Amino acid sequence: MSLLALGGGGGGTEDGSSSDTEPDALIDFTTMLMERKHECTGGWFSCGSKLQSQAHEDHGYYLGQYVLGVLDFSSQYGIDYSISYTASNVIGRPAKFPAYGDYPETFTMRTYGDWWQQAPSATQEIQAQNLPALPTHDFIVVYFEKFVVPTEVAIFETFNPGGVVRIWAYSITKRWSCLWEATGSDLNHVPRDSRRFAPPLRKTNIITKTLRIEFNHSRLNYYTEIDAIMLCGRTVPMRCMHQLLSPAGKRLANTREESGNGPISCKLRTLKFQPSCQGNDAVKLHEFINNDLSKFLMDSRVESEQQKNNSTTRICLTDLPCEILLKILSYLDLKSLFRMGQVSRLFYDISTQPLLYCDLSLKAYWQLADSELLCTLARRATMLRKLDLSWCGGFGEISPTEFKKFLTQRGDNLTHLRLNSCKFLNATCIETVGIVCDNLIELSLRNCTTNPPLLNFSCLANLKNLERLDLFQTAFESELLLSMLESNRKLKHLNLAFCGVSVNMDNVATHLGTYNTQLVSLDMWKAHFLSARGLQSLSRCQQLEELDLGWCMREATLGDSLYQLLYNCPKLKKLFLSAMRGITERDLMHIATLGKNLEQLDLMGILNITHERVYDILVHCSKLKLLDLCFCDNFMDSDFDLIADWSRLFNVDIKNSRIYNSS
Amino acid sequence: MNEYLDNARRSIQRAMNSSYHSLSTVASTAGGLAATGGIQLIGRLLGLKAQVSTESMAGLQTTSSSDLGSPSTGAFDEQQRRLISVVCGFPKDIVMYPDYVKGQFGEDAWFKTSTSKADTLGVADGVGGWRVYGIDPGLFSRFLMRSCERLAHTADFESTRPELLLARAYCNLLEQKQPILGSSTACVLTLHRESGTLYAANIGDSGLLVIRNGAVVCRSEEQQHHFNTPYQLAVPPPGQGLNVLTDGPECAALLEFDMQPGDLLLLATDGVYDNVSEELLLQVLSHAAGVTDPIKLQTYANSVALMARSLSFNPHHESPFTQNARRHNIDAPGGKPDDVTVILASVV
Repeated sequence: MSLLALGGGGGGTEDGSSSDTEPDALIDFTTMLMERKHECTGGWFSCGSKLQSQAHEDHGYYLGQYVLGVLDFSSQYGIDYSISYTASNVIGRPAKFPAYGDYPETFTMRTYGDWWQQAPSATQEIQAQNLPALPTHDFIVVYFEKFVVPTEVAIFETFNPGGVVRIWAYSITKRWSCLWEATGSDLNHVPRDSRRFAPPLRKTNIITKTLRIEFNHSRLNYYTEIDAIMLCGRTVPMRCMHQLLSPAGKRLANTREESGNGPISCKLRTLKFQPSCQGNDAVKLHEFINNDLSKFLMDSRVESEQQKNNSTTRICLTDLPCEILLKILSYLDLKSLFRMGQVSRLFYDISTQPLLYCDLSLKAYWQLADSELLCTLARRATMLRKLDLSWCGGFGEISPTEFKKFLTQRGDNLTHLRLNSCKFLNATCIETVGIVCDNLIELSLRNCTTNPPLLNFSCLANLKNLERLDLFQTAFESELLLSMLESNRKLKHLNLAFCGVSVNMDNVATHLGTYNTQLVSLDMWKAHFLSARGLQSLSRCQQLEELDLGWCMREATLGDSLYQLLYNCPKLKKLFLSAMRGITERDLMHIATLGKNLEQLDLMGILNITHERVYDILVHCSKLKLLDLCFCDNFMDSDFDLIADWSRLFNVDIKNSRIYNSS
Repeated sequence: MNEYLDNARRSIQRAMNSSYHSLSTVASTAGGLAATGGIQLIGRLLGLKAQVSTESMAGLQTTSSSDLGSPSTGAFDEQQRRLISVVCGFPKDIVMYPDYVKGQFGEDAWFKTSTSKADTLGVADGVGGWRVYGIDPGLFSRFLMRSCERLAHTADFESTRPELLLARAYCNLLEQKQPILGSSTACVLTLHRESGTLYAANIGDSGLLVIRNGAVVCRSEEQQHHFNTPYQLAVPPPGQGLNVLTDGPECAALLEFDMQPGDLLLLATDGVYDNVSEELLLQVLSHAAGVTDPIKLQTYANSVALMARSLSFNPHHESPFTQNARRHNIDAPGGKPDDVTVILASVV
């Protein structure tokens, strides 16, 4: 890596060479040195050795760095103790880029496309109007080694690019700032090739070394895979950093961001719930009002003051009865609702009505949610039924005490509670949930694996009315789960993906077959110790419509258990049997004959599939929409064209990727 | 080739369950979760370790005793130990593998990597008998070594426990979308920088030799079920578990040894040890002690590899393989053609 790389080209596309050279140096000096006018001594930065650059410490230098570590991620395809398809693969240099394909050395997320929304286990978003046009499905939070003012964020995508929708940066002033957001057109027409995705970032002065990348899968054909993330920017000289980090500097930074000093703005500041106004916007607004407003009004043919007297009396918003206003306001997202409350006393009264706060979701405002906001909401939300605090409080903005207070005050009528990826949860919070919220129908605690694990779920055994329990990627005690299964006989949806090696799935399956026969959907992705016996017990849940057994049984032989399951559960719509290598040809024939209602079928990595069996399945399962045949190595190359034809003929989306070159 | 597959029977459920259970307990100890089986596993590992270290201590005493420990007068420098390592090898069948691919020699695979805490080396010998069933034997060993290499760079890699690395790499093999079948032996070692201690985990008949002052001071234990049937990590095709010999990573023989600057470390597959006797190796490598120039070290590695290869095709050579066969009442004159992989490392 030369310090002076002539010939331009953006920061550091290294060849993915392996590690037998010196240990990964995560900092490279890149060609951006050439492109900027620099105020260094001597004007033009002609660098030689590192010593020289140290002398320029005062002025900062440009560098590109790869990820040093991963702080959080919402989902990954692989399991933690392996390194295939897991989040830790974004660390360091790209391993496979610019090769294109489905490689295990990359970061892959659990879902793709719209298929999970069409499955029986799909959930409705709480307060869906809060979500932006391209909602976030998954995220990953990574950190780098050096603080920089970001100029470029490059994401190396090696499979099905086009999933990134937002890039956030966490500045040293402890605020999240959105560096880039996708518009609809960005996600169209993405070529199916590996790419180094570096969208144009907003001009900013924040200093950061932590990024959050958000993904939306709905337009993806198959899994998207990320090989590496690079953060390029200018480092900040030490003395400037000290200035900014000192208390005086913090006040300085804050006041610079404040806009306006009127009473309403002051009130907004105390609420700490305000749109992130940059200085530029206020100026633009001023200019608009001064110069263009009158023209705008004329263009829109709004009647001017003089003509108003002649027109008939008009009804304005405040004349409408309260109930109608409430109905109108119920369509607003939370931010706009708060803004409405600033308009007048009347609107304040209406917008703080508890009926508008029955369904509350702070997921879309994860970067703003903090304890004070919870406090404010606690005053208003006296009839709270559904609460979604997913993704909030990641960096200590919400304190567990505040959350417990909130829940104790308002939680007793809660029916739906979602606390996915909430980092502020500790054992006492879960205890409070178990004690206070005994009317819960839905409890979602995805991605709550903490170290040490939140083992004190014992109070959750108090809940008796659960219909949906989501413990995706969360560690728990298996005795607790078993006791919960026994007490919640109406359980319909259960998600135990990635529950780890400490849970014996055979026992869980036996309990399900005995106590939870109303079960509609079950997700056991990457579970351990499931055997033919467990599968047989599952066949007692005859209402099953969705069953995800991906990577569950691996090498184990199935015997008759799959046949029994298919025979007893005719309502099955979604069946995922990824990497269940013990599936035989007889089992595939049974799937064809017994799976009348199948809509989504995943047979990835099954060894014994021949194209005749595929044809059988396509002919008999008339409702089939998705068929995943990736890595079924038994297919010849010539079969692929045939399968593509069948895909068109039967109108089924057939996936068949494999590693294109083994290396 | 058949010796690897037929005859030896292990009850499938016991083998797979115990290897699964111990894999999972090993995986969970590596991952930081508690598991009850882990205590038994660790106990067995410690027992094995004690056994091997007493053997190596015995080996120490039979060789020259003046070399025990570094001379106390000489300054024990606080500098961290490093390995300068070079690789050489030949596939058995050059026609089948005409191009050099890094990390592989025929069905053998190797890796070497270094992190801030330790230097790690490994070799794996893929069992060739799988070719009959349409499975590429080199795939398994290559993936195993590549997984070890990648896992060595994770944050929770314990440099004093190469057996955990091996176990995790084995678990990782099962998590691939692309089905990987086959089996191989493996030998993984790490040199902990600060303490200068060598830790090794060995399954099967690959092995390591530590040469100091012209004598062998440490060698790893070779594990065989029967003649020419080494211990091996395996992923059998589904439904064939009963017919396939498989050992779990808990069978690894462990080794712990203090290294000094100037020591020579030879990590090789059985293609070397079955064809070249120890005396011959010592003769060739006696001048390589203390060499730190990698290019010069490479010449020594090349000569060892070439010697192993030429002797393997020599029908009149009295190889260790022949001697071992004779002990088992089998007549196998000459060398044993096999893939040769040599990693030669010098401790500085």
